[in-house]
Amino acid sequence: MPYIYNTPQDQQDMLEAIGVSSIEDLFDQIPAEVRLARPLDLAPAHSEMELSQHLAGLAAQNLHTANSVCFLGGGSYDHFVPAVVDAIASRGEFYTSYTPYQPEVSQGNLQVMFEYQTLICQLTGMDVSNASLYDGGNAAAEAVLMAMSATKRTGKVVVPASVHPEYRQILETYLTSLNTELVTVPAEDGATALAALEAAVDEDTACVLVQHPNFFGAVEQTEDIAHIAHQKGALLVVAFDPISLGLLKRPGDCGADIAVAEGQSLGTPMQYGGPYLGIMACREKFVRRLPGRIGGETVDRRGRRCWVLTLQTREQHIRREKATSNICTNQGLFALRAAIYLATLGPQGLRETAELCVQKANYARQQITQLDRFADAFSRPAFKEFVVRDRNNQVGPMLRDAAEQGILAGIPLQKWYPHLSDCFLVTVTEQRTKQQIEALANCLANAQQPTAIHA
Amino acid sequence: MRNRLATQPLFDLSKPGRRGARLPKCDVPVQELEQLLPAWTQATEPPSLPEVTEPEVIRHFTNLSTLNMSVDTHFYPLGSCTMKYNPKRNERLAGTHGIVDLHPYQPEDTIQGMLQLLYELQEMLAEISGLPAVSLQPAAGAHGELTALMVAGAHFRESGEIRTKVLAPDSSHGTNPASARMAGFESVMIKSSDAGFVDMDDLRSKLDEQVAVFMITNPNTLGIFDRQVSEISDLVHKFGGLIYLDGANMNAILGVTRPGDFGADMMHFNPHKTFSGPHGGGGPGAGPICVNEALGAYLPVPVVVEEDGRFRLEYERPRSIGRVRSFFGNVGVLVRAYCYILSHGPDGLRRVAENAVLNANYLLSRVRHILPVPHGQRCMHEFVATASDLKKKAGVTAMDLGKRLLDYGFHAPTVYFPLTVPECLMIEPTETESKETLDAFAETLFRITEEPADLLHETPHSTYTSRPDEVTAARKPQLKWSPTSDSDKTNH
Repeated sequence: MPYIYNTPQDQQDMLEAIGVSSIEDLFDQIPAEVRLARPLDLAPAHSEMELSQHLAGLAAQNLHTANSVCFLGGGSYDHFVPAVVDAIASRGEFYTSYTPYQPEVSQGNLQVMFEYQTLICQLTGMDVSNASLYDGGNAAAEAVLMAMSATKRTGKVVVPASVHPEYRQILETYLTSLNTELVTVPAEDGATALAALEAAVDEDTACVLVQHPNFFGAVEQTEDIAHIAHQKGALLVVAFDPISLGLLKRPGDCGADIAVAEGQSLGTPMQYGGPYLGIMACREKFVRRLPGRIGGETVDRRGRRCWVLTLQTREQHIRREKATSNICTNQGLFALRAAIYLATLGPQGLRETAELCVQKANYARQQITQLDRFADAFSRPAFKEFVVRDRNNQVGPMLRDAAEQGILAGIPLQKWYPHLSDCFLVTVTEQRTKQQIEALANCLANAQQPTAIHA
Repeated sequence: MRNRLATQPLFDLSKPGRRGARLPKCDVPVQELEQLLPAWTQATEPPSLPEVTEPEVIRHFTNLSTLNMSVDTHFYPLGSCTMKYNPKRNERLAGTHGIVDLHPYQPEDTIQGMLQLLYELQEMLAEISGLPAVSLQPAAGAHGELTALMVAGAHFRESGEIRTKVLAPDSSHGTNPASARMAGFESVMIKSSDAGFVDMDDLRSKLDEQVAVFMITNPNTLGIFDRQVSEISDLVHKFGGLIYLDGANMNAILGVTRPGDFGADMMHFNPHKTFSGPHGGGGPGAGPICVNEALGAYLPVPVVVEEDGRFRLEYERPRSIGRVRSFFGNVGVLVRAYCYILSHGPDGLRRVAENAVLNANYLLSRVRHILPVPHGQRCMHEFVATASDLKKKAGVTAMDLGKRLLDYGFHAPTVYFPLTVPECLMIEPTETESKETLDAFAETLFRITEEPADLLHETPHSTYTSRPDEVTAARKPQLKWSPTSDSDKTNH
């Protein structure tokens, strides 16, 4: 194999030094009755060239951003990734290192962690950030667990239906094991029904989890929701869209106790869903309840400023079953990408990106909903995605036809919201051009006559 | 060569008006922002991010990268982490169009190639593990543990059994008991015998009908294969419990033995270790799990299924525990694992295990003349040495040895884990190192044990920083940059 150094002579010399006669002898710890007596039934070894050709064959069967136009979102977005992000993240010193257990030879990673945490605090207006979790959905679930331990309330968690359905599914999986009730509050006109929320939150409620902008792309009345939660002593967890914070009020200024996000937008490609970046930040008083790695500043024995992993008594490798979470491997490489992305864009770049999203999404919204067949499903202001209702109730065939023309036009909502079976979610990032948006509208307009498409 | 600006925080470089990116002009008719987003939703000012140029970003992060040790630059025998070479071809292939730029909600017809890859990977992992049902969804090893324990929980709930306990040996990874608690179980520790195996008497005394799962790492964290494993699984099964295999150490047994064949009902893989997805400075990993036929029904949704040569995501699995991650999982890591397995084939994977075990045993044969290795003269893929005697004799600790190794250009082994061996160094060379490197490491370790204790206490000497004050860092946490806190400090 190309990655193994040992020549037959090396192996011979090493076996002699060990004092055994064959490699087989090294495995005699493993009882014969559990040994595999045959080769694994796997495809034969591929050379690099064969492997490349095979992967190219698989890739060619997929629609992707170079041969189609993506209007899909729902938590994973086709935002632009500047070349600097790839240039730095592909340095072996970053991506072939591991968790900085030895700070002296990990100052690069540790300083990146510290800078990432700072950037997240600047972005969110929260006091402290950890160094990353798996993804937005798990960050939301971990935030809820954290709220349960902080409030010592394990009875109930309240979540509006406008939160990402997969985040709610993850939460349900986690809470089922812990016998905690997950109460789902309906959405009204595409956002949290405040009266229903108020009725659902009580003294047993650990927290309210709200997403803003929500899964439907609409803004939520986060400050009112914070008030409802806090009145009953519950915490507010806000799931935010990092790009939206170029324009929108920060979670820390809206009453969030814990802020979480899917950080994929910040410089990470879509990769069919992962690996992504779970962002989590919170108020100072919850710092010792944060899950995951945290980098901190200190000085070394010579008095020089440096960085270390800190507050490790929260963590599984020290506290085992008493740890705040079981997380070990995190998403360090994507925290690095997010840091490079935010540094490169800066305040103006992020603001302009957010402005382009909101302008283009609203242009698309107008272009589509001015067609007779389509209507706005909801009236709320939207940031970069919005829900369209198909009056012909033919969402499935219409989206399939669009895909055949190289346009990934939207996400059907029926799977998660049976009452929205005639609706689909359209997302417009800063990358979409006027021409692409008009092609989308055109494609949907032609779909008005399903027979005409095949003519 | 010292670069004075190398470690200046990003925020100290910021200067109002500088920027690293320009966005295109808006090509759609621009509307008043207030018409699109109500004023109460908007921030009054842009976020307070630093303002730097693109060249500054490149220089800053490039300089930071040079302060890391990595597999690409150094021998990195960090036990339990399997820091093997990360093939460049996998990076390139995982980054190509058609793989890296697929949206997770694309219609299945538009991602047949990706679904085929994932389906084939499920099949490969089933074959390597000997456990037929696979979920690729968990995002890391610990996440796989948690998912599998939830699967076990669902299984027992459905069969009406109330089982509250999860057992794990005292030598297990900290994630095992932490995952047990997160899955709603009580975690119970099982002692290890002097030989480093599961203490069977202790196991017998703690086994009862309340035990849901026994979590075993095999080969274990001492680098030895617990030959009692069939007996253990028979015993646990007799009480109706399940066996979970922590697959962190699969590198030692690829193609040699399979967890499903030695009694495991469930396991996770760490593709970032065994299948060389890079470790990414802390992550990403992935934690696919494999379970036996009966438990397959409880796996998270979706799984990839094949029907008449077409691939689709199956969601209609009524007994599934639900979801543990958004979208499909850490696909980028899984693609690399797939490439790795295909690059090796069945013989190649076995060669990986053989050479990992050969390298570890060779290094053990040299190290045991320098430091005691309490658990025998032979090992699997890693071994645990101890500096206990050295500490008693000369006051030199495992930490001192690890730090001094850094001076000589070797990453330190894992120190102070497993918790069952005092002053321990856990050494895992992996198969992608040469005899020459192993010889140099052993010779260096010997040389270090001959060095004066006073010198060793102050190591490393050659690195940018040395012995950070971790106590103060934890007592007065400073977790983000602030303009005032840093003004009185200097960078050298």
